[in-house]
Amino acid sequence: MFKTGVWGYAGIHARVRAKYSYLITSQEWSELIGAADFTALIGLLRRTVYGPYLMQLDEGVLTPRRSVYQIEKQMADTFNLIVRSTPSSARPLLTKFFLNFEVHNLKAALRAVQARASWDQAQRVLFPLGAVSTLPAQAMVESGSVASAVELLRGTPYYNTLSYAMERYTSEQSLFPLEVALDLNYWREIWTDLNGLPKPDRLQALRTVGSLLDVNNLMWAIRYKIYYHLSEEELINYTLPFGYRVRDADIRALAAGNDIAGVILRLYPSLPDISTLLLEPRKGLPELEVQLLRHVMEQCRKAFIGFPFHIGIPLAYLVLKKMEIQALTALVEAKSSRSPVEEFEAYLPLESKRK
Amino acid sequence: MFYPQEMSQVQLIIPARDLMAVTRELADQGVFHQIDGSNLALEPVKIPRPHKPWPEVAAAYASLERRILGILQTLTIEQGLTPAPEGTGIVELDQVQPLVEQIDQQVKRVREQISEEQKQLDELQGLYHQLEPLADKDLDLETLRATGYIYSILGVIPHANVDRLRTSLERIPFVFETLHQDEETAIVWLSGLKRDREILDRAARSAYLNPLVLPEAYSGTSTAVVRALGKKMEDIRQQMAEQGKVLTGIREERGDQLQTLLGQVRSSRILTEAMSRFGRFRYTYLISGWVPANRVTEFEQGLKGVSKNILVESLAIQRAHLHENIPVVLHNAGLFRPFQTLVTTYGQPRYEEMDPTFLMAVSFPLLFGAMFGDIGHGLLLALLGVLLGSRSVRALRSMANFGWIIAYCGVFSVIFGFLYGNIFGFENILKPLFIRPMNSILESMILAIGVGIVLLSIGYLVFIVNALMAREWGKLLFDHHGVAGLVLYWSLIGLAVEVATKHAPVPLVILGIAALISGLLLTFSELLDRLVEGHRPLVDGDLPSYAAASFFELFEVLIGLLSNSISYVRVAAFAIAHAGLSAVVFILATLISPSHGFGYWAVVVLGNLFIIGFEGMIVGIQSMRLEFYELFSKFFKGGGMRYEPLTLQPKIQE
Repeated sequence: MFKTGVWGYAGIHARVRAKYSYLITSQEWSELIGAADFTALIGLLRRTVYGPYLMQLDEGVLTPRRSVYQIEKQMADTFNLIVRSTPSSARPLLTKFFLNFEVHNLKAALRAVQARASWDQAQRVLFPLGAVSTLPAQAMVESGSVASAVELLRGTPYYNTLSYAMERYTSEQSLFPLEVALDLNYWREIWTDLNGLPKPDRLQALRTVGSLLDVNNLMWAIRYKIYYHLSEEELINYTLPFGYRVRDADIRALAAGNDIAGVILRLYPSLPDISTLLLEPRKGLPELEVQLLRHVMEQCRKAFIGFPFHIGIPLAYLVLKKMEIQALTALVEAKSSRSPVEEFEAYLPLESKRK
Repeated sequence: MFYPQEMSQVQLIIPARDLMAVTRELADQGVFHQIDGSNLALEPVKIPRPHKPWPEVAAAYASLERRILGILQTLTIEQGLTPAPEGTGIVELDQVQPLVEQIDQQVKRVREQISEEQKQLDELQGLYHQLEPLADKDLDLETLRATGYIYSILGVIPHANVDRLRTSLERIPFVFETLHQDEETAIVWLSGLKRDREILDRAARSAYLNPLVLPEAYSGTSTAVVRALGKKMEDIRQQMAEQGKVLTGIREERGDQLQTLLGQVRSSRILTEAMSRFGRFRYTYLISGWVPANRVTEFEQGLKGVSKNILVESLAIQRAHLHENIPVVLHNAGLFRPFQTLVTTYGQPRYEEMDPTFLMAVSFPLLFGAMFGDIGHGLLLALLGVLLGSRSVRALRSMANFGWIIAYCGVFSVIFGFLYGNIFGFENILKPLFIRPMNSILESMILAIGVGIVLLSIGYLVFIVNALMAREWGKLLFDHHGVAGLVLYWSLIGLAVEVATKHAPVPLVILGIAALISGLLLTFSELLDRLVEGHRPLVDGDLPSYAAASFFELFEVLIGLLSNSISYVRVAAFAIAHAGLSAVVFILATLISPSHGFGYWAVVVLGNLFIIGFEGMIVGIQSMRLEFYELFSKFFKGGGMRYEPLTLQPKIQE
């Protein structure tokens, strides 16, 4: 009865607005970045929305990895709360978006199998998805081989994708084809769900999730080109022909060897000169990615302006939350390894002028 | 009956010499739900050689048990119910391990051969399935192996990658043909100039085009290859059948022996696992757990019979202010027990909350009967239910509980059949004792909503009683399903009655004030709950965003109240649909045979069977939905701990 519009989104809008106000502010980010060490960082985080989760554990057992896990748990709970109150038409896309973490877990489990890691080691890097995920992660890690781990996925949406890629894994013994296949399939499905939405919702979802897809697609193309030196045809096959701003022609231009900076600046004219970043790719590419992600954040913030009863609100919030978690993870790692602020600050996906 | 059985927490201190006898007694009594007390030891205990720590011994038995189960599974032998060995109940590991090893080796050899043949068969089958669609194309596959200027790839590609593959090859000349396609993949032939071979290979590989590689032994046209593959697969299947006969021989020879071994090893594993959870001191063991309060005396006497120096302490647990999860024993009368399965499907009740089995046992068949009122259909359902419930059909024994639920639903269908005057869809044989839903649609719907209001109000009352028993005053007064929620619900119903009939049972002003106050209380329910319970801070975050979220939550509550009540209209809708479906059957029967001959009665019988199967299932699902979603969500939290007593015959008791 109340599927979309004001009726459908009134409750979820209020809920997300309330949660939105708890995203870490720029003032808080400054304090967190300036924390003397890991212990001080945790002390500061205890005063944020992550406090109750970090306080579930004694300080003695709160290792960097464990704290990240607790922080991720907060996101998982937030997602569950949001998705429950979302109208049914929007739920598949929201759930699919959140399942990006399941793809992450799947890749982590496959890496663990490849590296012959124990379940105890592997589970530390898994995102706590709870009941949303039915991935047999432990059985996979303990299966002993990538082929057996993939077999355990029979009946899940990942099985077919991986089974097509298994032939290449068998001959190359590299997880690269499996991981690329998973990523491409995931974003193709997101795109299908997105296109199935009613028009007002579709436009909003395109702005938020589509922008994120743009960044991924571009960064894939650039990395394949610079790091892996892949050929034009491989690069085209390993990327996607759609997005919010990025079009197939842009990807093909990159694949054909056109100037990367030129393509990026045509798509994002407001970016500063990025040619210098490309001179030293190891340092420069992560910085470029952060700059692109800032554009995604801007798009997400825009979703909260104007008519508010659409899917863009919960989606934008989840994208922002995902980036907050990403930044916190990087920060926890930096603080626990005692890196100086200037070494990591540029790599945190934070908005430059957050009010 | 309304609450789970009262439990007592028990702690036992036993001398080390009585360990085996006490553990066996605990398992034989089958009432003791054990708690892990292994961390209670106050001092490190030296294990005298050659004894190993209990967890290690238990792990060895568990591993042996898995091995026996593996053999039984390979030989397709049932586990059986072999009694535990006499005495301590523990069989020496050295005594059984060599025997298991010997049988395992015997089975393993055959199993490995079968598995090797199976692998070969799977590979050929994969190839066969990929080439089979090309069998009628008579394609010369030799051209793939020997080409002049053309380079070709025959393979399978996921549909999703086809367009991208074409795009990636736009800069070179190529031919791309789809030979066959199914739901997700396509068999394709990609060819181009030999000088572009590397580009073609890279593009195919990156598009996950998996080439079909034919073993050298298979050559010629696709038709010939498919035929040769089929023959080879048949040969392998015959070899596997021979190996299967060998396994049958082993099964006949060793079946009983394996079942006995399983019984011995399993009881040893259960007892040693139990012992590994005891707290161990220098000369004594500490054992903790739960026992139903009414069994404590008998339990204590039994233990004293095997250990004179045992110390037993027990404490009955009240339901208020519980901070721990206590195992739950549900004790419903036999009549209601089948519905217990439905309740636990939704969730195991917690120790401190009301067990809704009784409520479900009354309301579920009532709702079902109201939606499926027909004397004939009800009688057939009741007979089917009794047949299943009586366990007289061996293959359907696992459905016994389900059978009794069907039987009760059938009985209520009969009762409502009399009320509606309906028998096998015929409405002209009996006079209805109450109404015909088809002729009184509005009345039926109002009645259905009335029933819904009564059931939902019961849901609210159960929540209130639960909160009262648990002394959760905040929840009792301000929760959406507590007193404030109930007052809001009833006052809104009062207002609706006034609008519809101008005859509200209570003055309009009182109803309005009650709705306003209860609405306000619900808006700030979280804050008030924390205030009453003494929890701080009263609000998470800032007050304005809390107020905004609370306001919209109230909005959701109001929509929920409306939709929950209206949801019960489906009871009337299905009662009407039942009569409608029956009418359709008679129309169809008359069309087939206007003279009411054989065709007419055949359609009537088949139609009635269809109604019982199809509509019966839908009505069952709808009744379940009304119970779980509309009613249980008002008061039932679930998440209780299952009562799993230590026993050598698991899964027998609840």
